[in-house]
Amino acid sequence: MTAGGLTRPGERNRLVVKFSEIDWTLALLICLIAGMGSIMLYSIAGLSWAPWAANHLVRFGLCFALMVVLAMVDLRVWFVSAYPVYAIGLVLLLAVEVVGDVSLGAQRWLNLGFVRLQPSEIMKIGLVLALARFYHGLPADEARFSWRLFVPVALIGVPTLLVAHQPDLGTAVLLAATGLSVMMLAGLSLRVVGALALSALAAIPPVVMFVLHDYQRNRILTFLNPEADPSGSGYHIMQSKIALGSGGLLGKGFGLGSQSQLDFLPEKHTDFIFATLAEEFGFVGCVSVLALYLATITIALRIASVSHSHFGRLGSAGVTATFALYVLINGAMVMGLAPVVGVPMPMLSFGGTVMLTVMIGFGLVQAVRVHRYSEITSGRGTLV
Amino acid sequence: MSEPSFFFSEVNERQGVFNRRVFLMGGLAGGGILALSGRLAQLQLLEFDRYKVMSTANQFNFRISPPPRGLILDRFGVILATNRPNFRVLMMRDELHDVGATLDALSQLIPLAPDRRQQLVRELVHTPRLVPIEVAEDLTWEEFSRINVRAPELPGITADMAEARVYPYGGAFAHVIGYVAKVSDRDLLAAGKSPDPVLHHPGFRIGKQGVEKALDLALRGKAGASKTEVDAQGRVIRKDPEGDVQAVPGKTVVLSLDTDVQNRALEVLGTESGACVVMDIRTGDLICMASTPSFDANRFVKGLTGPEYRALADYERRPLLDKALSGTYPPGSTFKPMTALAALESGMVDPEERINCTGQMWFGNRFFHCWKRGGHGSQNMHDAIKNSCDIYFYQTALKIGPDRIAEVAKAFGLGQSFDIGISGQKPGLVPSTRWKRERYNQPWYPGESLSFGIGQGALSANALQLAVMAARLANGKRALNPRLIKSIGGVETPRGDAAPGLPFQTQHMDLVRAGMAAVANDVTGTAYRASQLGLGPVLMAGKTGTAQVRVISAAERAGGVRSNDSLPWRLRDHALFIAFAPYDDPKYAMSVIVQHGGGGAAVAAPKGREIMRVALLKDADVRARITSPMPLPEVAPVAPGEEQEGEAPAPPSEVVPPPLSLQGVVRP
Repeated sequence: MTAGGLTRPGERNRLVVKFSEIDWTLALLICLIAGMGSIMLYSIAGLSWAPWAANHLVRFGLCFALMVVLAMVDLRVWFVSAYPVYAIGLVLLLAVEVVGDVSLGAQRWLNLGFVRLQPSEIMKIGLVLALARFYHGLPADEARFSWRLFVPVALIGVPTLLVAHQPDLGTAVLLAATGLSVMMLAGLSLRVVGALALSALAAIPPVVMFVLHDYQRNRILTFLNPEADPSGSGYHIMQSKIALGSGGLLGKGFGLGSQSQLDFLPEKHTDFIFATLAEEFGFVGCVSVLALYLATITIALRIASVSHSHFGRLGSAGVTATFALYVLINGAMVMGLAPVVGVPMPMLSFGGTVMLTVMIGFGLVQAVRVHRYSEITSGRGTLV
Repeated sequence: MSEPSFFFSEVNERQGVFNRRVFLMGGLAGGGILALSGRLAQLQLLEFDRYKVMSTANQFNFRISPPPRGLILDRFGVILATNRPNFRVLMMRDELHDVGATLDALSQLIPLAPDRRQQLVRELVHTPRLVPIEVAEDLTWEEFSRINVRAPELPGITADMAEARVYPYGGAFAHVIGYVAKVSDRDLLAAGKSPDPVLHHPGFRIGKQGVEKALDLALRGKAGASKTEVDAQGRVIRKDPEGDVQAVPGKTVVLSLDTDVQNRALEVLGTESGACVVMDIRTGDLICMASTPSFDANRFVKGLTGPEYRALADYERRPLLDKALSGTYPPGSTFKPMTALAALESGMVDPEERINCTGQMWFGNRFFHCWKRGGHGSQNMHDAIKNSCDIYFYQTALKIGPDRIAEVAKAFGLGQSFDIGISGQKPGLVPSTRWKRERYNQPWYPGESLSFGIGQGALSANALQLAVMAARLANGKRALNPRLIKSIGGVETPRGDAAPGLPFQTQHMDLVRAGMAAVANDVTGTAYRASQLGLGPVLMAGKTGTAQVRVISAAERAGGVRSNDSLPWRLRDHALFIAFAPYDDPKYAMSVIVQHGGGGAAVAAPKGREIMRVALLKDADVRARITSPMPLPEVAPVAPGEEQEGEAPAPPSEVVPPPLSLQGVVRP
């Protein structure tokens, strides 16, 4: 395939060409991370494919296929469907408020009969798409700071508050941070970003004391001093740190992590899988996996920067920001640097919904890469 | 394929801003991941050791098996403390499903009182997860088998065989050996930051008194442990026999005591409140250290009930007090050899110089009395020791002053504690002008010298010190130290005779010893009749003492001194006796104190003789000397109301007792 070949009209729309335009380095990195996840899940189950490792691989295969399919979808289709996806997400969030399943004291799931849907996951994609679409039609100076920014603020604020009310603090923080990242990428004045960050920091104490539920407040207080009650609410953080620390430089060896194998580690196959990795493969293994994540983020951001359309740029960079936030928040939580919030390590943790969301996100990134030369001319960022 | 670099080609303003912001975001993500890596380095590289330990503590569980406690033997290997099998029922909290049902089932097999049940349920809440709880102990073999047979129906209940401490001689050694009892919170605190995990083991006993306490760590041994891997719920995943730690049995402790002598001392002292210490002069070994009344140490192992303890604690004669070490008494006339030696060493007193005893002397503003109404007449030093003449020692003490006496007394071990391996010694007090000044900020009054000279006043000593004093007098040269613990785990402790000599002239010591020989063997000596051993040529030298515990008023004295028997127990005199034998080749020294017992010669000396006989008869050298043991001379019972001391009948005036020398005594 030569550059000249691509200049022929219609050539770029041929599926074979599109397929070859997918960033296979990025795809390989994603596969490596998911593969690592499978290996860890195999180890945690006591060197067994059941119940998690095989399942994880099958899901990943399906999601990978979905990513490839989504990569073929024309960027204009993404553009057009941005607001509808957001709207569907919002409706579902409202539906959860009214008729959602209550599990573990929180309303997060919508039971559709055949599948239990978590609308906040749809919203993670929907929000990025909607913001990208809005900014697509916004001039640079207005994106910097203007009254029109009430639109993105509302786009971010409404779902964030709904999710926080479920209550799902982790996802709410993630949504807000993702939205803010997109606004910043679009050119929001750094002074405003700074002011927002400061006021958010200032808002933490009163929110913690008066707004949060008891268990949420306890998690945060526990995070501040986990060793105060190592067998009570500090147990998770303490055991996670023990798992990490006892891994040392090279780890205890595959399948030999006592903390995870003997159930001392909580949520070892989901939120705390990174601690298992750290225990069995040590510092070297952890840094290698973190390097894979960083490479993935860097490549995805580079893809964003070469897109010809502003929607493509913001969309792909936005989902990359979500991905990066997952990694950083989960990492910080596992290492005892952040309170325990239900944020998994993407691709590594067992769990279908998050994997689907992340892979749809990479589908968008790949679509942006495949369609990087396509221009989206239609209109300004109106709400239609 | 060439793509525009996002740095240099700004297609439009929006893209330019975006590219800068993407770069910023990539930087933030990179920085974040770098920070995470840093945190990982901190946890996994810098703090690795700490978390490794915590991880191992999570993963492995050591089930402790306590070691057999070391034996305590006497000098001939007679067992003084040992262990017996103890069948117990234990309850494991983590294997228990329904406490009530289990206890119901259990109560059909063994007796289980309702209040004990409640106590168990309470214990269950407070006990750490993996520590078993003792439900009952000392089961019979039938009960034990019954539980073992029904074990499958009793989840969380195990019957096991542990060891319990037992003291075959009950009370005979209770004060020396002490006892073991349940580990208290205070014991745990005393064990420091990381107490031996065996202390938490149910039914584990820790040494509380005497040798059991002092040598607790040596006797305890090292606990064994079976290593098991457990999961977060405490379930055993795997046993690891290679990780097992073998229990190290406690060390055997050999005491210098002789069971026969000790038992004889207890028999002889009977229900009296008293103490007896016998010492081997050649080695410093304490072959007897008895205190009466005693208590059964075995009761303490199981745990005393409140009333039992109160009965022991409230009894007037103080069974719980070790009178051999912790009871200090005025030594009375047993101290006179010290005064005599101090006088000789001072060079101010000629031993042949005679002092006339009229039975009383005026000093200061009052009369000081001799114990013998009417007096002893003219006395030289030898006579004064033999007769225990108070007037002679009043005068002598007055002449030489208190400090010379104190110096000699201290050289003989009074006023000090000895390192015998167990705690609880009270050093008593040797007064001096300096002590008086420092303690009361007052000068020494000459009247105090009078009391001091006859072993009363502020002076006090315990039975061990008096035995050491007697031993050093007998031994003559060495500042002999007592030894109670002969060996620990086969390693001999240093002998007591590796001590410097006494800085006193031999002829002075001989003179004092001759006086003490006369006390016991001259027919006019205060303890003549009470001191006849009946062991042929083997003779004893001694000194009696009768220490007042009250002031006898002039009016009382005028009306005739009241006999001890008419006084309430706690106002009676202390009876004391020190002795060594054979006096021409000393091997054993002793002290006997009978608290509120009455006269030293009437009460303490006969008891001392009986105890000394056993010690001498057990000695091979002494037995060889006794060719034909003679029967004991008849001892007339002391009639009530007789004089306090020196019940020896006045010899016929024409019979002059033969002079005594150290080489041989003409037996009457």
